[in-house]
Parts: sequence; C-alpha cells; structure tokens
Amino acid sequence: MGAPLLEIENLRTYFHSRSKRAFIRAVDGVTMVIARGETLSVVGESGSGKSVTALSIMGLLDAGPGVISGKITFRTDGGERNLLHDLEHYVTLGEQDGRIMEVSKDEAGWRKQVERIMAEVRGKEIAMIFQNPKSALNPFVTVGHQITEAIRLHTPTKHPREAKERSLYWLERVKMDSPRLRFDNYPYGLSGGMCQRAMIAMALSSEPALLIADEPTTGLDATIQSTIVGLLAELKSELGIATLLISHDIRVVSRLADDVAVMYGGTVVEYGPAPEILGARFGLKHPYTAALLASRPSAQNVEEKGGLPAIEGEVPDPIDVPRGCRFYARCNRVTEDIRDACARHEPALKELTPGHHVRCWLYGD
Amino acid sequence: MKLAATKPITLVLARELALAALLLVGVSFVVFVILYLSPGDPFSVLLEGQISNHAARAGLREALGVPRTWYVQYLSWLGNLLQGNFGTSIRTGLPVFGEIARVALSTLYLTLGSMLVTLLIAVPIALHSSVRGTTALNWLLTMLAYVVSALPVFWLGYVAVYVFIHQFGVFPLTARIAASSERTWPFSLLPIFVLGIGNGTVSEVVRHLREEMSRVMGEDYIRTARAKGASVWRHAFKEGLLIPMTEIIASKIPFILGGAVIVEQVFNWPGMGRMAWQAAQDRDFPVIMGIAMIAATLVRLGSLLQRVVYVAVNPRASNERRGAAWAE
Repeated sequence: MGAPLLEIENLRTYFHSRSKRAFIRAVDGVTMVIARGETLSVVGESGSGKSVTALSIMGLLDAGPGVISGKITFRTDGGERNLLHDLEHYVTLGEQDGRIMEVSKDEAGWRKQVERIMAEVRGKEIAMIFQNPKSALNPFVTVGHQITEAIRLHTPTKHPREAKERSLYWLERVKMDSPRLRFDNYPYGLSGGMCQRAMIAMALSSEPALLIADEPTTGLDATIQSTIVGLLAELKSELGIATLLISHDIRVVSRLADDVAVMYGGTVVEYGPAPEILGARFGLKHPYTAALLASRPSAQNVEEKGGLPAIEGEVPDPIDVPRGCRFYARCNRVTEDIRDACARHEPALKELTPGHHVRCWLYGD
Repeated sequence: MKLAATKPITLVLARELALAALLLVGVSFVVFVILYLSPGDPFSVLLEGQISNHAARAGLREALGVPRTWYVQYLSWLGNLLQGNFGTSIRTGLPVFGEIARVALSTLYLTLGSMLVTLLIAVPIALHSSVRGTTALNWLLTMLAYVVSALPVFWLGYVAVYVFIHQFGVFPLTARIAASSERTWPFSLLPIFVLGIGNGTVSEVVRHLREEMSRVMGEDYIRTARAKGASVWRHAFKEGLLIPMTEIIASKIPFILGGAVIVEQVFNWPGMGRMAWQAAQDRDFPVIMGIAMIAATLVRLGSLLQRVVYVAVNPRASNERRGAAWAE
C-alpha cells in the first residue's frame, strides 16, 4: 500500500429532519484510507451512505441544519490539510451517550469556512464524476468549453487556444470518437457514454491528485458500462491517479478496486484488500458482504439456486438506528453464542488478517 | 430542405410575425366593436355646447367622411391601416400616427425605466433567497415586495406627489417638460420609480425568479460546476436568470402599460397613456384604435423577444426548431 493520500477518520454526516425532529444519520462513523495511486471502492446498497461520504469529502452537501464531524486529512506534495478544519467551531452539539441529540449552527459561517477550505481543492486537487452524465453536464454550454473551463481554472494553461488543444488531447485520451467534432457539440447531442467520457476528460484535465467516481456507470446501457469501466481501468494504469470509486455493482468494483470498503447503514462493516473481500472464501467475511456477493448475478448462482438469492429485509432506518449490530435484523449467521451481543452492542471494526477489518461479533475473541 | 437550412431564429421570427398580424387584426376588431357599442360618439363630443341636432351631426359626419355602417367604417379603417395610414384624430385633425409617435418615446422611456426598477428590486431578493433559503432578511424583503405589489399604483403615485413635490419640493410640479432637455431628466425618476414599484409585478417577478433559480440550483450540472470549482452563477445564469427574466417581463408588459396610463395621468406625463385617456374621453376613435394597435404590438414584441432569447440560448430548442422544419 502506498503513502496515504486521503484519510477519513470517524466521519459522521447527519441531516436534520425538521418534520420528524430527529437526525438522519446518513454516515455514522466512517474511517477509511485512500493510498496514492490506488483505487478504494466503496460498495453497499442504496441508502448505505456511500454517496453522502463522497459529497462530504467535497463539501458539496447543502449545509442545512445538519452536521458533519470527524477528520478528513488530505496529503499532497504541498502539505497536509484537514478538509473539515475548524468546522466544529460553527456547530454546538449536545451529546448524550455518544449520540448527537441537539445542534445549533452558524450556517453562514459554516458555509464560508467550507468554501474557504474547498476553494483550493475542488476540481484542482480532487475531481469528481457522477452518475447520469447527461444531466451532469451543463446543457447550455458546449462540451469543449466545459473542459476548457476546467483547464483554464486549474492548470497553468490560460490561453484559450492552448486550452482548446489541451481539451482535445484529453478528449482523445478518453477515446471520444471524432473529438474535434464533439468539442463543439452540446451535451444533448451526445450519448450517455460519450457524456461520461467528456465528464472523465473534464475531471482529469485539471490533473487532480484524487478522482471521486460516484456510481460512474449507473444510468448507462450495459454495453456502455463495460466500455466505461474498461476506460477507467486503462486510465488508472496509465495515469496512476488515486480513485475513490463508489458503486453498488460488484463487477465494476472487482475490475477496478485495490481496496474495498463495504458500507452498511452508514458505517463500514468490512474493509480490506479487494481480492480478500471479493474472493471466494466466504467463511472469513462479514455476513453482509457474503450475502452481497451471493446475490450478484452469475451463471453459477442461477443454475445452482434457480435464481438470485436476495437479502431479506430492509436497510436500517437511519433515524432510529438499532442499538446493536446494524445488520442483526437481516443476518442469517447469528449463532446462539453471540445473539445477545449482536442485539445489544455494536461490534468494533476488528483486524482479522493484516489490513482486513471486519465489524462482526462472529470474529470476536 | 430549404427550410431545414434556415436558421432557427429566422423561423421563430417568421412564425411570430404571422401570429402577430393575425392577433392585431383580432384585437383591432374587438376594440372597434367595443367602441362602437359603448355609449357616446365623437360627434356629440365635438358638438358639445353647440346646436346638436340630427342635421348637424349628419353634416359633420359627411364633412369628416365617415362611412354610415359600422362594418364599412371598420373595413375602411383596416384598409387605411394596411397602407400605413392610421387615420386622423377627430379632435385635432392631425394624423394619428404622428400624434402617437410624438409621445411614444416618453412612454417607452417610462415603461423601460420602470421595468429596470422592478428588476433591480426583484432580482437581488430572488437570487438571495434562492441560494440562501429563507433567512430573516430575505423573508422580510419578500414580504415587503408582496406588500408593495398590493399597493394601487394611483395611490402610490399621489403619495409620491404629495411627499416629494408638495411636502419636500424635491421635484418641480411638472415632472417632465421635454424629453430632450437634459436638466429635467432627474425629475422623471419619480414616475419611473412609482411605476416600477407600483405596477403590481414585483412580487410575481420575485416569485418566478426564485422558483426558477432554486430549481436550477438543484440541477446536477450545478453540482458538477461546484465540484469542479467553477462559478455557480456563470453556469446557472442562462437557465436560472436570463430565460425566466425574459419570460416574466414579457408576460407583464400589459400590466406595465396599464400602469403607465395611470402614472402618466398622475404625473402629467406626456405619453401614450395620457393620450389614450384623453382620447377615450373624447371618443376619438382613430386615436384609441391607433394606441390599441401600438400597445398590442408592444405586447407581441415582448413575447417575441422572449422566444428569441430562449431559442438563442437553448441549443436544444434551436435543434427542435430545425427538426420541426424538416417535418414541415
């Protein structure tokens, strides 16, 4: 594992629901590390807090009355900084048993502080691509101009003609067909796959240290998905850019990830090297990871079990988080020995083998 | 094929022009019928205080060359109009077009100025609240905008006259003597502000702009702009401000013109509104018809401008136009 580039420590992102007068604990104590040049993939069902984690890193969540706490250390050649630096000064929390009960917030100050920290980071150090690339590009601006804008904002290339040449270089790099033609196209004239290529070109053109890809293949046709994944794999080996890949698609993850973090109900339940987590040894996994892997479509699954096994039950309510293990209600591997612990206490993230952490009472001592 | 090669803007213009012509004929007919059916006629006004018997009226009618039946009267007016002749004022005997042209500029000055005032008030409130959500400050400002919009413009006008002219003497009583005189232009600010604030559109402009801008701020491409460190305003400008602004202004032109009639009356402003008022009292049919035509044209121009901006700004709309031309 390379030197750490981005370290997330105990990230908690809570939104406040005024109608329910309660916190929605979207991300609840997430810790993970992205190493230089490596791809960390976050997997999990919808509502597990994957995207909110990414948006918290970028400071892109609308402030609202919610709260983000923890520490996000970003290390570049220029030094290290905490992307959540001093944000706690703008929030007063009333805590009880480690749970946040009430909050008062200076929203304007919070917003200013976020912009102050992130102004140097967004687009320049950390770039981001999204799902549904067609709506993620500005429909009123040509594709080329949107890439040129990123180049002129974040790289020493300021002259319009040079920036255009640079954009064309990146459009070629992402294998856009007839880049010179596409340069002057508006997004509506492009397919979803082409739009995602343009998004990738735009993100990479400012030569960031970290790329956050939030469900980059969701919303694309199956065949296009696979070419986009292929492109990301190629760019990864060519450019060696660190990537935070968020996806619910295990196939995408297994092709790209060096490390995997499995999220469930706002926390990381398993975290470690991709081959270990996605590999076939089901015995040494979190029950949720095992269920997730078993439910992915494969010929073997369909032949042996006559269909895809689904995970029974639903994701825990982020407002009324269960006291014990978050997966307890849906877990099929609870034994009588640990049932009591599962129901009452949340297990800690334990290191099973070097670098491989699991949050489950099955692996207690 | 020929059409497909035409620029989308040209097509929009052609369609709008055809529509405008039809609409103007319709408006002129309706206005004429209403005038004809309403009590009173120009002859009794002209002959007021004089011998008003049947023979005198018939003689006057003959002298002015007014046809006997109402439909011949309308058709001859329409025929003249098609040749660019708006007729002559019954009261002054001068050509209507010249009369209107003489005062049109000052009305244009008043209405455009008041639109600017409306926007200068509404845009900052709308933008602030669309980005910041409801804060105490913009809640107060929005409420103020609603209250102000509910004030009748004639009342606001008389209050302004009382306060600024009678009480403090900031402005001379005749607000605007000549359009060209440079020394008088500050005095025209008063009616412009009264119309801009009191035409009842401020609150709706605020509401429309805020809704549109809030919607655009929630779009994926704005999130992309933020993620890449670009200016959110620059990316949101076209869809969030330019298009909704032209939309709302175009739809409010009739209200602004209506307000101008009252403001011109209150401030003794020599414009089309006052002329229309006078002509209505005199039953000066050709003048009323002429002003109705000009007003209807201005309203159409507003919506034309809105279409043109929309098509020019929105690449998708330009393409749909082109696609439609193919189908035709």
